[in-house]
Amino acid sequence: MKITIERATLLSALGHVQNVVERRNTIPILSNVLLVANGSDLSLTATDLDLTIIETVGADVSQGGATTTAAHTLHDIVRKLPDGAQIELTLSDQSRLAVVAGRSSFALPCLPKEDFPVLAEDTLPHSFSIAADELKRLIDKSRFAISTEETRYYLNGIYLHAAEAAGVPMLRAVATDGHRLAQVDCPLPDGAASMPGVIVPRKAVIEVRRLLDQVDGSVQVSLSETKIRFAFGKSVLTTKLIDGTFPDYQRVIPSGNDKILEVDRRQFAEAVDRVSTISTEKSRSIKLTLEKDKLHLSANSPDSGSADEELVVNYPGEDIEVGFNSRYLLDIASQINGDSARLDLADAVSPTILRDVADERALYVLMPMRV
Amino acid sequence: MTIRRLPEGTVNRIAAGEVVERPASVVKELVENAIDAGATRIDISMAGAGRDLIVVADDGVGMTRDELVLAIERHATSKLPDDDLVRIEHLGFRGEALPSIGSVSRMTLSSRARGSDAAWQLQVEGGRVSGPQPASLPGGTRIEVRDLFFATPARLKFLKTDRSEAASIAEIVKRLAMANPLVGFTLREGEREVFAYLSSSGADASRDRLAAVMGRDFADNSVAVAVERDGVRLAGFAGLPTMNRGNAQAQYLFVNRRPVRDRLFTGAIRGAYQDLMSRHRHPVVALFLDLPPDAVDVNVHPAKAEVRFRDEQLVRGLIVSAVRRALAEAGHRASSTVAAEASAAFRTGSQGAFYGPAGRANGSSGLAEAAAAFQHQAPPGAQTGQHDPDGFAPASRTTEATTGSAQHYPLGAAVGQLHETYIVAQTEDGLIVVDQHAAHERLVYERMKKALLSGVARQGMLIPEVVEMDEGAVGRVLARAEELAELGLVVEPFGGGAVIVREQPALLGEVDLKGLVRDLADDLAEFDDATTLTERLNDVCSTMACHGSVRAGRRMTADEMNALLREMEATPNSGQCNHGRPTYIELQLPDIERLFGRR
Repeated sequence: MKITIERATLLSALGHVQNVVERRNTIPILSNVLLVANGSDLSLTATDLDLTIIETVGADVSQGGATTTAAHTLHDIVRKLPDGAQIELTLSDQSRLAVVAGRSSFALPCLPKEDFPVLAEDTLPHSFSIAADELKRLIDKSRFAISTEETRYYLNGIYLHAAEAAGVPMLRAVATDGHRLAQVDCPLPDGAASMPGVIVPRKAVIEVRRLLDQVDGSVQVSLSETKIRFAFGKSVLTTKLIDGTFPDYQRVIPSGNDKILEVDRRQFAEAVDRVSTISTEKSRSIKLTLEKDKLHLSANSPDSGSADEELVVNYPGEDIEVGFNSRYLLDIASQINGDSARLDLADAVSPTILRDVADERALYVLMPMRV
Repeated sequence: MTIRRLPEGTVNRIAAGEVVERPASVVKELVENAIDAGATRIDISMAGAGRDLIVVADDGVGMTRDELVLAIERHATSKLPDDDLVRIEHLGFRGEALPSIGSVSRMTLSSRARGSDAAWQLQVEGGRVSGPQPASLPGGTRIEVRDLFFATPARLKFLKTDRSEAASIAEIVKRLAMANPLVGFTLREGEREVFAYLSSSGADASRDRLAAVMGRDFADNSVAVAVERDGVRLAGFAGLPTMNRGNAQAQYLFVNRRPVRDRLFTGAIRGAYQDLMSRHRHPVVALFLDLPPDAVDVNVHPAKAEVRFRDEQLVRGLIVSAVRRALAEAGHRASSTVAAEASAAFRTGSQGAFYGPAGRANGSSGLAEAAAAFQHQAPPGAQTGQHDPDGFAPASRTTEATTGSAQHYPLGAAVGQLHETYIVAQTEDGLIVVDQHAAHERLVYERMKKALLSGVARQGMLIPEVVEMDEGAVGRVLARAEELAELGLVVEPFGGGAVIVREQPALLGEVDLKGLVRDLADDLAEFDDATTLTERLNDVCSTMACHGSVRAGRRMTADEMNALLREMEATPNSGQCNHGRPTYIELQLPDIERLFGRR
């Protein structure tokens, strides 16, 4: 194998795939990236056995071939080479990859490409195309709620499925950590109606989101019960899905919350942020007291004192008092882009619904906190 | 095969299997009898670790000839005057001990009833009785047990080494001696006197006896516990957390003066010392629980090592709160054993470290370094102001003015900082060295814990967690649901074999609730106490406390140091860090003088 490639091209491709490679591996070859030179293309593959990214870039291939070498090392080398450098990759014998650019030359140990794990090629019966912006929105607005507690593994991802909102078919992303929940919809793409509900693991969500920055236009999604693939033009990400049952989230979204509060989103977020300065480091509790057209936020801490702030809001309902984790409130408030936010409350112990008044397609559910 | 009634001898041997397990159980039964007989001194001697010979002689009321004959019948006792098993006021009552022992050994009983002018003697050999014959005895009862287990050789094979059998005899006698300060005890092994405790009386009798049995250290480094609630009285002494052990052997509980081992007690003690020492260390305590005989059932174990309380919650609550309160009142006290170790280290420092590195290896403890550092300092005990400022923070000079007035505080006035890590303070009669990080960490932690007590914030579960467990575990957890709710964990029943968690302590953030609840169920089974949850909460506090406190290496001004000392005096449990290590050590002037050979 002998190829010449432009530094920027190689760097961006390595940048995309190397995130998949774990820093520490018990299987040595998982630290490596698979390089395959063929025709006028170089393809790079990295995997952690659950998630695989393949990216194909143009290169000047004088001799085809394939090998694997340490992904992070190669990435670091390429990153440090001067801008505009032409990089020559040569596999002289099977154990050393020569990386040469100008006066710098490196020899990297290789492992044979035959040992590189290949994800079984399954058939992915369901397939649809979705606008990159829509997919971005689904991920951005829901991923903050993904659980990190590994014992509830079935919550460690985004639940992607076909649903219906007010009679209109939707593609829906749901994430929850057991305390709060995010539900985001977009119009159902053609071909997605029959897809099974799948849980896309957090690591894949993060990588997909990273790759989405590189594309506009659309993303081709294909999936089966156990795998999902996102094709972004020159890069393709395939991941195993979380093998578990996502809880029946619709049951926990309340329908009878009749105390409706509308508040300026920015004022609200800023007030919550200010008042929460006082609440204790870990519990971060903050109290919302509502009376007609008035929202009173307060926090108390034996160490730091107390904080109070009052906002003029649109609230016709009866007086109510409810506590929340201020960090959860801020997380949700930062997902709301419109000018005003709406809170549907019931009482101090039942879930509250939060949403963007201008956006019917996203809603958030939050459990209160009690002191 | 036909069913038949077992002969008396076999019945006694079966009973002996339960009551007389090893030589120590013989000693226990006989000494308890002596105590029940109102003895004021009891002499015990043994040979061959009790296998060859056990003699227990007392000066109690004694027995008449007829009583003597009856005593070796099974279920014959003087201790249940009205056949009431609910109100048991004696140590023994089952009437099993003497016939059981008699059935497996060669036993001689001699006794002279008080007021009688004749003593009688009776022999029992493997259950066969001969006598009574007249004997000579000044008073009381003397029981001699020879060739124990000769009739049941199988049992002999299960005995441990002589050393460990002898040790367990000594342990049993010690326990009984602790509970009966008014009775004098001596234990001899052959010609050697193992120990002798004089009978003492007066207000300090109990403390004196504990000191005699458990050592002076315990008396000096424990706090008195004395409370009474609903007719239950708890008295005794709880060791300071800085005096701790590797196992729970040195935890003694006496229920109505009867030594018992009980898991409720172990759990309560663990709870009481919970954040004062590491999980792997054990405190030293001796507590006497006195409650009306009908509030406790002692008839659940043949050797009466376990008891059942009618109101377990009350007893547990009483122990935990009383010990906690006593320790909190002790405030910043750290044990003097620590200071003793320190001065020992000082000594090796002056002998070895002076001349070369060998001394370091010798002194081994980190305090040798402190000792080395001290060699640059002014002679301990000298007034401030003369010392070489080298090694002291400059603050020392500014403190001179305040020294005089602050010196009368228990932790004295700060005179300087060593290596920006330790605060040195002068008290009226000595010297204090404070580990500034450990001390401040404890202060911050205690403050957080207090805040925690005012209410644990609970985060509601949008998706409640169902935890499946066996029914016993479910029952245990649900039985304590109220207590758990106060700690922020709200659980409800969910079918037969599961609980559902509705709310969790907000402090814990996202947490493995299944694991937490299962650990709790195990805790409740083992210690009857929900320590896991409090520990988890305290762990979070302690991590935050660690980050929120003054580190080693930070230079402090005199005012800051004095403020820290004053706060330590005012804060409960400030004498040790969260792991039971001392936050400060104290060297009394006499200790210092001894170091210089002035005493």
